[in-house]
Amino acid sequence: MTGREVVDLIKKNVGVPWNDRSYRDTFKLGNPDSTVKGIATTVMVTFDMLKRANQAGLNMVISHEDTFWNDRDETKDLTANPLYRMKTQYALKNDMIVWRIHDHMHAMHPDYTVVGSLRSVGVKGGEDAVMRARVYTIPETTLGEFASQVKRLTGSRAFRCVGDPKAKVSRILLGPGYATPRMTAEADVVIGGEQQEADGGFDDVEYVADAASLGMAKGLIMLGHVISEQPGMEDLAKWIGTFIQGIPIQFVPAEEPFWT
Amino acid sequence: MHGATALTVQDVTRRIQTTLGGEWPPAGPDGFKAGDPNTPVKGIAATAMATMDVLKQASKAGTNLVITYEPTFFGRHDGPAPPPASGVAVDDPVYKAKKEFIEKAGLVIFRLRDHWQARKENDMVAGLAESLGWTKYRVAPDDVLYDIPAATAEDIVALIRKRLNLRGGLRAVGDRKARVRRVLLHPGVMAPATMWQRYAETDLIVAGEVREWENTHYAADIYTAGEKRGLVTIGRVASEDPGMRACAAWLEMLVKEVPARWITAGDLYWRAA
Repeated sequence: MTGREVVDLIKKNVGVPWNDRSYRDTFKLGNPDSTVKGIATTVMVTFDMLKRANQAGLNMVISHEDTFWNDRDETKDLTANPLYRMKTQYALKNDMIVWRIHDHMHAMHPDYTVVGSLRSVGVKGGEDAVMRARVYTIPETTLGEFASQVKRLTGSRAFRCVGDPKAKVSRILLGPGYATPRMTAEADVVIGGEQQEADGGFDDVEYVADAASLGMAKGLIMLGHVISEQPGMEDLAKWIGTFIQGIPIQFVPAEEPFWT
Repeated sequence: MHGATALTVQDVTRRIQTTLGGEWPPAGPDGFKAGDPNTPVKGIAATAMATMDVLKQASKAGTNLVITYEPTFFGRHDGPAPPPASGVAVDDPVYKAKKEFIEKAGLVIFRLRDHWQARKENDMVAGLAESLGWTKYRVAPDDVLYDIPAATAEDIVALIRKRLNLRGGLRAVGDRKARVRRVLLHPGVMAPATMWQRYAETDLIVAGEVREWENTHYAADIYTAGEKRGLVTIGRVASEDPGMRACAAWLEMLVKEVPARWITAGDLYWRAA
């Protein structure tokens, strides 16, 4: 089976009309007509992840995010960049193929990025979740205790919280990656991956800090992009396995990039 | 006394506008956001972001003009905005309470971003360098490069955290033990292209914020490629705070009639236990 044939099967099974104008969901590296020996799914096709996929004998990487450090994977300013050349040459030398699935994953029912992210922080009931965020209720706890639970369950070292740790919370609103939802009257805690900190469409950081200063129980947990959006890529691997058999299909995680 | 009529907030902001020059379009980010411009000014506070905590401190200190670099009302619309804009709702409880506090305390909020960062002195960078104690290490004529006494990345990170009073907002990428000497300071947001162009000439970039799937991804890949460069993001507001201390010092010279002070917005983040 070739990379192109894998992608054709994904398009056939994705359950939503395929949008050929998506600049994100395209081949990024390698020859689409190369034979696929194994498939690795990941949230971020980092150089480190690419190497681990190759060592595991998985030459096709299906990544949720970009390969070349900008959302459009625009490479015209990178042709002389040593890191670009090194990463590209490594992939080509090892006959690797990189294909991105972003926009269509968020259009799928369910959206595995949301399903996986809810599961990873211990919020139940999100098995059918879609991109449009809804509020999930957990047994009442404090923001600080909930954040400690998130730390324990995700193993994340570097996620950031805003709000009063002693605030009583039970209503959780989650959006993974850069899709951090805006705080609403119906939610106590917003969980996201990352978001512009200020001067954006809606600044959750300032809003939650001010709510806390006014004595209102609101919290914000910013997991980081990789930690927040990664768990669903394991679900995606399982889903691909329902219509592609005979080759290994594995979730190969990207590392949380941060230390503190 | 300074004459028959008291100096108003608007007298001060006109002086700021005349001194900084340029166009001040009503639709631009800079300008009044709340309060009555005809209020007699008692004192001026400059801050990176006019959070509730900053406003409480300003009021307590008897300053009634707050100059803020970032928005006051939770986004670029800086208040309620009709659809399709996504500003805060007019009946939002946090918005209402904040606005009410401003009115009761007699505060006036003026945003000053574009015209402050356009100054050739580049105070946002110089202010950050000063807070870090690195002013004398600047690699002239470059505005943003500093050759600091060599140390490991983890020691530099500890120093940054201490000197900027950071809590949970700082995150680092790269080798903890890498030797750092040349640092690039970039308060605010760093775009991918800036990093591609300038990373090779630095040991460490200290930025406010970046997009994690862009610059953080690049820094992680540079590390995998075996290069000893690091990236530290300290938070957008935390990175802009020192530049507004420089702004307060500038205001003190410009408006001698009333006191001007810096009120730190601080690091709004904490880490889970």
